[in-house]
Amino acid sequence: MSVLLEVVDVVKTYTVGTVAVEALRGVNLSVEPGEMVAVMGPSGCGKSSLMHVLGAMTRPTSGRVLIDGVNVAEMGDGARTAFRRDKVGFVFQKFNLLPTLTARANVELARRIHGSHRDPEADERVEQVLDLLRIRDLMDRRPVELSGGEQQRVAIARAVVKHPSLILADEPTGNLDSKNSEIVLNMFRELNRRMAQTIIIVTHNPDLASRVDRVIEMMDGRIVRDGRRAPAEIAESARRAGQ
Amino acid sequence: MNREIIVSNFARRPVRTGVSIVAVATEVALILLIVGLVVGINTETGERTAGVGADIMFQPPGASVFLGLNSAVMPVEVGDLLAGVDGVEAVAPIVTQFNTQGGFDVVYGIEPQSFDAVSGGFRFIEGRMFQSPEEIVIDDLYAEAKGLGVGDGLVLLNHSFTVAGVVDNGKGARLYLDLAAAQEMSGNPGNVSLFFVRLDDADAVYAMQETLEERFLTYHAVPMRDLVSIMANTSLPALDAFLTLVVAVAVTIGALVIFLSMYTTISERTREIGILRSMGASKGFVVALVLQETVWLCLAGVVLGLAASFAIVAAVPSFFPTLQLMITGEWIVRAGLLAVASGLVGAVYPSIRAAGQDPVEALAYE
Repeated sequence: MSVLLEVVDVVKTYTVGTVAVEALRGVNLSVEPGEMVAVMGPSGCGKSSLMHVLGAMTRPTSGRVLIDGVNVAEMGDGARTAFRRDKVGFVFQKFNLLPTLTARANVELARRIHGSHRDPEADERVEQVLDLLRIRDLMDRRPVELSGGEQQRVAIARAVVKHPSLILADEPTGNLDSKNSEIVLNMFRELNRRMAQTIIIVTHNPDLASRVDRVIEMMDGRIVRDGRRAPAEIAESARRAGQ
Repeated sequence: MNREIIVSNFARRPVRTGVSIVAVATEVALILLIVGLVVGINTETGERTAGVGADIMFQPPGASVFLGLNSAVMPVEVGDLLAGVDGVEAVAPIVTQFNTQGGFDVVYGIEPQSFDAVSGGFRFIEGRMFQSPEEIVIDDLYAEAKGLGVGDGLVLLNHSFTVAGVVDNGKGARLYLDLAAAQEMSGNPGNVSLFFVRLDDADAVYAMQETLEERFLTYHAVPMRDLVSIMANTSLPALDAFLTLVVAVAVTIGALVIFLSMYTTISERTREIGILRSMGASKGFVVALVLQETVWLCLAGVVLGLAASFAIVAAVPSFFPTLQLMITGEWIVRAGLLAVASGLVGAVYPSIRAAGQDPVEALAYE
């Protein structure tokens, strides 16, 4: 099996004032294309730091982060920016849609930054994504006119339309009620199943564990458990998600 | 897409947008009106001087075409020598005085007979020519501006005069008094500031200019038909410095306002910039976005500034009949470019600061 993402001995240390805080203390991880992975753990365990390192938002203090065979850890700011543009889609807890733009403009902005806004094939993908996320009728509204669940679905569309290698979702259900959390999690599952989209979700939500291929647990900046589920169990989850 | 982001940002922050546009408009209007005032006064003075009807203005060495600035004088007998030159039809001696009481006006001391011979004479709206050193003739615009009529008193150059007549404007000065009185007041009896010369053949003006300047070395013979353009293109060191200072102040204010405006908007939009950066927007993209927003703000300000300037120019004659503001195409372009350039200078630091934000920190900004 090929490897999409390989993390080797990654350490991330932040300096807060005069105090050095080790957020990641030697993380090793590999993710295959098409996997849907949940990263769980208590607050402050290093989940978000791992997410930022995987998404080329910041450089690790040491170690290697290989995505599609490219070591992100050695890249400068410009290369990491281009890498985020081409390879990574982010979904945030607070949705982070641009409030002054309509849902459609938010999605189009991602395509424009990516450079795929004039690509007819990409247009078809956008149509598929809007249908899959069931937001076609919401696209002319501004974020303030959408519910939290709707905003998050638009944010997912924004992350997905550029066809990234990797979707990174940081507490995507953290600001949603249980019903909308359920909808959003199902959407992730659908994206993963129908479009073979690789997805890594950082979450506190225990319900998610039953919907992903693999659960990674972190504690004090280290991975303490990495559990894959059986294929039959995954298929059953997918079936339930599709209902 | 960038335009959509920019327009929606303007709409979301109408007060900031409005204040920025008004600031740029003020910058543009300040430049255009100050320059317009100087150009207008120069041009109007030039046209008025040329309107005397003479063919040549003859001046002593060191004299300026700006008559109010002249201290140079020459003996009145020079006029006799000029009158003896072949081709000269009439010569009118003039003493110029610069009055600063209640305004800034050039006063001509004239001999009515010789002045009429050169200029073709005044058209009196009311009254008559002065008949004593205590009488004065004023033009209609000065009369309207000061609310004066025949018989009214007027204090000028620390002397009291009575208005004897009101004439059509356009014959050199706005105020005319007796030549001898003007010589006495200036402390130069027997001397004059300049001569207006009328030729037999107006088309021979350049040949006559050459003849006079050869015969009266170091004296100036200025063809009146060229006077307006000469005055418009003659620089006065102090005035140029003043204009440069005014333009510099206006540009600095514009740059500072745009700096403050863009700096605050960048701070307000830290999270949005973090979102853009997380999506892979390059630093160049963010800088370009901020600068484009600045350009649109400045262009709106330029349009508003132009509209305000033209409105003021149209309104000025109602309040200040003797004041002429002239907005030229050249200065419209200059003021517009200066406004946009100052805005861009003001936006450079905020845009670089925006682009340099760490995306992780920017996304954590509340």
